[in-house]
Parts: sequence; C-alpha cells; structure tokens
Amino acid sequence: MIKTAQDMKSYKKQIQQALADSFLRSALDEFNTVYRENRPNVYKDIDFNSLRDAIAENKDSLIPFLEILFEEFKSNAQKAGAIVHRARDARQANEIIARIAKENKVKKIIKSKSMTAEETFLNTHLEKQGFIVTETDLGEWIIQLKKEGPSHMVMPAIHLSRYQVGELFEKQTDLKFDSENIDKLVKVARHELRPKFLEADMGISGANFAIADSGTLGLVTNEGNMRLTTTLPRVHVALVGFDKLLADLGSALRILKLLPRNATGQAITSYVTWIKGANQSLNTLSGKKIMHVVFLDNGRLSLSKDSVFSTSLRCIRCGACANVCPIYSKVGGHKYGHVYIGAIGLILTLFFHGKDNDRAIVKNCINCQACKEVCPVAIDLPHLIKKTYARVIKEDGKTPVKNLILSKLMKNRKLFHFALRAAYLAQQPLSRGKSMIRHLPFFMDKNHGFRSLPVIAKTPLRDIWQSLGPELKNPSLKIALFAGCAIDFIYPGQGEDLLKLMKKANIQVDFPMDQTCCGLPAMMSAQEKTAKELAIQNIQAFEAKPYDYILTLCASCASHLTHNYKKIFKEDKESGQKIKLFTDKIIDFSSFMDKVYTFSQTQENIETKVSYHAPCHLCRGLHVTNEPRALIQKAGYTYVPAKDEEVCCGFGGSYSIDFPEISSEILKKKLDNVEASGADILVTDCPGCVMQLSGGMDKRQSPIKVIHLVELLAQKK
Amino acid sequence: MGKNNLIQLMKEKAAGVGTIVHEISCVSEAIKYAVDLNRKKKLKILTCPGLDQKDRDSLQDLCKSSGMNLLKEPLRNHAYLIDTSLTWVDYGIAETGSLMLASDSEDIRMATMLAKIHVAMLPIAKIRLNTEQIEAELDEILKNNSPSYTAFITGPSRTADIERVLAIGVHGPVELHLLLIKEMKS
Repeated sequence: MIKTAQDMKSYKKQIQQALADSFLRSALDEFNTVYRENRPNVYKDIDFNSLRDAIAENKDSLIPFLEILFEEFKSNAQKAGAIVHRARDARQANEIIARIAKENKVKKIIKSKSMTAEETFLNTHLEKQGFIVTETDLGEWIIQLKKEGPSHMVMPAIHLSRYQVGELFEKQTDLKFDSENIDKLVKVARHELRPKFLEADMGISGANFAIADSGTLGLVTNEGNMRLTTTLPRVHVALVGFDKLLADLGSALRILKLLPRNATGQAITSYVTWIKGANQSLNTLSGKKIMHVVFLDNGRLSLSKDSVFSTSLRCIRCGACANVCPIYSKVGGHKYGHVYIGAIGLILTLFFHGKDNDRAIVKNCINCQACKEVCPVAIDLPHLIKKTYARVIKEDGKTPVKNLILSKLMKNRKLFHFALRAAYLAQQPLSRGKSMIRHLPFFMDKNHGFRSLPVIAKTPLRDIWQSLGPELKNPSLKIALFAGCAIDFIYPGQGEDLLKLMKKANIQVDFPMDQTCCGLPAMMSAQEKTAKELAIQNIQAFEAKPYDYILTLCASCASHLTHNYKKIFKEDKESGQKIKLFTDKIIDFSSFMDKVYTFSQTQENIETKVSYHAPCHLCRGLHVTNEPRALIQKAGYTYVPAKDEEVCCGFGGSYSIDFPEISSEILKKKLDNVEASGADILVTDCPGCVMQLSGGMDKRQSPIKVIHLVELLAQKK
Repeated sequence: MGKNNLIQLMKEKAAGVGTIVHEISCVSEAIKYAVDLNRKKKLKILTCPGLDQKDRDSLQDLCKSSGMNLLKEPLRNHAYLIDTSLTWVDYGIAETGSLMLASDSEDIRMATMLAKIHVAMLPIAKIRLNTEQIEAELDEILKNNSPSYTAFITGPSRTADIERVLAIGVHGPVELHLLLIKEMKS
C-alpha cells in the first residue's frame, strides 16, 4: 500500500506526480497559511515557549527510564485487571494482538486511530489471519477504503477532496451522495459505522499517554469513535509506543495543554478519556472487559540511549511539523514520509522502517527551521534530519559522489576559491556581460530554468578589499566581516556598500583573508567532518585580532556560525571556550545596524514601497524580526507588508539545485505574494535569498527590484 | 476568580465549542428540559442512567404523558435506539468549557456515547477553573486499584477529516446541552 521511493530517480517521479495534483496543492497551500495565521490566536491565553520547555525537560528526564516506567505501569494496570505485554518489534506486536484475538474467538475488529498500529501495519497482519478489520476514525476509514496510508498524523485523509471521498462512499454503500455537502458525507460514516461498533468482538486503540504511577491510558480524540471502540466490544487492546510513558497525571495534563492547540488549534479536543484496567462490560460472563495493553519497542529503547537521537522520543505526534513545512505543502504527506510524515517522519523512518525507506526522503529538507519553531517539545528537527541523513549514508556505506566532491573541494580553501574564480570564466559565454543568466544551456536539466542565475563576480570582494581603503585612523569600533561565499564571490557590491556605511560611522572593518565557507553546505549534505574542518579554519582566521564584533551580511552564515558551531564541538570540551569567544561575537547586519550602529531615523518620506522577505535563518534561526522592518522605515521608505513574509523563499543553498521542481513552486508563491503587496523594491538580508528572489523576479521580468538591506541603507546616506 | 466570573467563563467557553448552556434551578426543571427538547426534535427515546429513583420516576411519568419512552438499563440491549440521554457530570472545567464524567458504569458510557443528544446536569458548585484544580480528584480515582473510565467532554462530537471542514456529530452526540443547576439539595 505504501510505496516510498528508495532512490532519487523514483522519488523525483513521485514528486512530479504530487506537484501535478491540483487539489492537493491548493488544499495544503491554504492549510499552511491558515495554520500559521491562527497560531497567535490559539496561544493567546498560554505561554507556548515556557510550557514547551517544561514538557521537553520532563520528557528528557523520563526517556532514560522508560523500562522502569513500563514496569510501574504494568504493575498498576494489572492490579486493575489489565494484561500488559511488551513487543520487541512490529511483528511481535502484531502477533501478540492476533493471538489475543484468536484466544477470545474474535471475528470482527474495530479500530480507532493509532499511528502506532500504522507503524506496525497491524491491519494487514490481522486481515491475513482472517479477521475483519474496520477503521472507525473518519479519516482512517476513508484511507482504508482507498487502500492508502495516512498522509498526515492528525488528518490522515487531508490529501483527498470531498468528491474523492464521495466516490469512495458511493462504492462502499451503493448509494448516491451529494458530495458537495461534507456534513452529509460525515453522516454516511456515522450511519455505516454504527453497526460495526455493535457487531465487533474486539476494539483496538492507541493511546496518547501511558501514566506509570496509576497504570492509566490517556486518549485525546474528537469524533467519539475511540470511546465506542473502547466500550462496545468485549475485548479492548491498546497498542502503545514506549515513548508514551509518563510518570504521572500532571505530566499528561501539561502535554494536554499544548497537544490539541498545536495539532488542530483547539484548547482541548471533544474527548479526553482516562482508561484504567478492565472496566465493566455487560457483554462478557465476568462482567468485565478483557483488557490488554501492548507496549511497542520497535527501536524506541535503543533510541532512548542514543546521545543524538533520544530527543526524537519527545514527539507527541501533533503533526505541526508538517503543517508549517513549505515542502509538505507542495508534495503532501505520501511523498514526505513513510508511515510517519513531516519533519519527524524523515527522522523516525530510519529507526522504525529502515534506511531504504528513508534514503530519498531524508534529503528533502530545506532547513528553513519552520518545524523547529512550532515543535511543542522543542525537538531540533532540522538538525536531527541532517544527522539522520549522515546515518543513512553511513549505513549505506557509500557517500553520494556530489557530496564527496563538495566535501573535497571545500576542505581546501585555495582550491575552492580557485574553482569559484574559474566559474566566472566558464559563465562568460552564457551571461554575455550581464549580471544574470536567464537562459540555461541546453545540456542542463530544464527544471533548473525557473530562475535566472547570478553571475560569479569578475573580482571577488577579498581581491578588492584593500583597494577600498578599509583602514581608519581612530576608529570608534573595530569589527571583522565574515563575508561568506555569496558576498565574496557573487555580490561583492554588498560588501562595498557595507564598508561605505561603516566608514561614515567611523567603524573599521577588517576582512581576514583566511576565512572560508561557513560550512553550512557541508552540513546540509551530511559531510560532518568537512563542516568541522571549515569551522576550525574560520575560528583560526578570526583569532588574530580582538574584534568587537564579527559581522555577516548572510543570515544563513550568521545562524550557522552562532548555533551549529557549538553543536559541532559539543563533545569537544577543550575547545568550548574558544568556540564561545568566536560565536559570541557573531552579529547579523540588521541587529548590528539597530543595536550597535544605531541607524537614525531620517525625516524624509520616500514614496517608494518596500516589501520585506524574512530569511529563515534570521527570523527563526536568530529570532531577529522587528529590526530589519524598522530599518526600512527609519531610512524613510514606505514599508508594505506582504503575505507569508516569514515563509522560506525556496533557496536553501544546494536544496534548490537538488529539488528545483519544489524550490520553484515555493518561490512562485513567495513572488506572487510580493507582487500582490504592491512593492517597488523587495528587500531581504541574506545574499542567498537575494539570489533566489532576484533570479525569480528576473525570470518573470517583473519590475520589482530585489536588493539586500545593506544596499537600501547605503543608497540613503 | 470570583464565583460569578467562574460561572461566566464556564458558560462562555462551553458555548464557544458548541455546547448549549442554560442555568436552571433544580433537577425537575432539567427533566422537563430534556423531555421538551426531545419533543421539539421529534425524538422518542430517552435514557437517564445514574439518576436517583425519585428523579427517574418523575422522568418516567413525564415521558409517559408525552408519549415518549424511557429505556431500562442495561442499555446495551437497546444501543441502536437511544435518542436523548440525561446524566449528571462530576465537574466543570471553566477554562475549556469541559465536563468531567466518571463513566465506570457501562450504562453511563452507552448513554453518553450513543445518544444523538446528551443533556448533562452540573451543580454550579462543581465548576473548577482548570485541569490543575481537578488534578487531585482525578488522580485519586486513577490511583485507586479498581478499573476506571473517566472522560473530559468538551462540546459535541466533531471532525474535520474531510477538507478540514468542521462537521458536528460524527460518531458521538450531535448536541451537548449543559444545564447548570443553581441550588442543590443533597
């Protein structure tokens, strides 16, 4: 049923299919916007960040002790008549459940929604054994009829339109429906499934919480089918991941404050049910239900001991990482996961369903940090996705050639810079003296033609730096520029503008010549060793003088230098202090202009309308949001907000080369929004975003100019 | 939070999730409400598990004179038939407009899960601000060594599984009515 691509070629084919599905595209694009727009309202009464951190801390304190919590749960649940099992893997879990069914002479089984049962492919196993299994959650029933896996953890049938659902229901019931009317379709489910509940011998559910100190299961639902599933049949089996174990009720109630809000925007779901032991059932001789709880390991216990990946067990399956993901909104869940979808799916797939199913999908992360920001348990998802990618490569035993070449080239700064200079010459026949290449040569994949490409500068910034006269006599401040490859080799003009601005304020800017690529591209292609070597080179390059700040015009470099260098040297206690000295000095352009430079308000009012694109690594990576917008206004321009300003532009460095078909779709929505804002100029503060956005605007021959904030401010004064 | 504010919040939040809320003065008024509602909706069959014999008798009388039928427990035998259920709930949680209901008895579960309409009675004195304020009571139930089935019910049954469009009454009650009872003679 689930066919996850195991190599890039078939993955690309699947992506093309998904991109051609117009209902999927419009539904998910709208969902992505609506979900983000509703969030402030959903969280107006509670403090998301502090609750998130408290839950994460609580979960971390429990993860090393899951087996102890299991024993405690078991002893408490058994006192109340439940029988508790543990299953090593999916197969064993399925066998235990099939055995329980056989022992109790079960024929018909009903199920309420359980991602854990999806994980073990329980239905397939039970059906093979001759049991009749009916899903009763509306979304799950729909995909069962469609013979598909869920495309979202909370809304499994989000990829289907009402008409597709109507067709399925017509086939199932031999009746005709007015598919326009969703209310009527929902009533079909009520009518069709009610008898199934009453006829079933066994009900299978999942659980959101397993509370150890009382042996209670907590279930968070909306439709009411779970309550029927756990009440009407004689037998109830709950399949629960080890990661659902919590110490006490308080921990569960705390999660309950975030889970529904983050998942569906509800303060609480219609039903939250606490089930302990074998409750009354007038359907059995004993007057008690036959109650089993099966705990699934399937790799969780080894994950709990993994120093890198244990935090993935914090996940409470809210699905929000998919809701905000720009890629998910383009390709949908079936192409963005195996069983578990979204950012967490790219990680868990390796551990629950093996490297083959993760090999292609794990590459499909643009590192925009949107998922990390909404995660209710503070999982560093983009970081773990790259760590997962590295592990897939390791388990596969062979590094993709492209990653190897990149790695080899980057490690040697002189060679790398030589290659960039050579690229200038190679581009000349294509650029014909212009700053952009609008038409790609015939031998390149046509998917890359969605944007014009920038031309490598004739002379990189490093070569002209001294000629710009950077030395000042009595500077008020001495800072260093971390140029990054894009400013150095593509947009040296942005560096010149910076110097111009700084000179006016008597700030001296140095350009340490040994600096090299920040290392983010190496990290993105899971070349961890190379990323580390580049970090060492850069730290050494800036050690020579005691600079007040290390300024960068690139949001991605800034975020990488600030956060990832610490992660890279996490295990390396000796260099800790040295790293901190370096990273503490890193400052992005907007923050510098706002806090250090104190760029002053001009009296002039310029009618030119300026729209802003917030680079992912600035607004989410460094939480710099107000400063750039304030600077635009201080410079006298009319700031016009555009829709979805903080959504990724689709660049993501090498991402736009690896997945041009998705990158172009993300870019299209971005540019449409900017054009709708009525802006004359689009400003951003990352050269990578400038590259993507200006390439896109050029391609559509839009009059809107795309510039870096430094260019806007330098124009002014 | 003052008592009146708490009641106000409970009403507001419950109404916000689609619960129909009324303040009434006593149980007999609730019984009349349930029968009237049933009549208005052209429904016939009621249940009332958990009610006192006295209250059950008066509901029975009213049903009879209104041409309606009050089901006898166990309800499992009439699971298809239930139209409207009148039950007590144990606590109100104002912050989310939720009702806490100990549903260990199978009949209580059947009544509140299978009915088209659930009419819940809650003494005003049992309204709490948030889940923290019922945590101790719930924990006591859970730590008891006997089985238990406790529900937080917030509004009617709902789904958004088709095109994310909210639809009410997919598997559970289509309507949830909350009757806040001012004075309770116990």
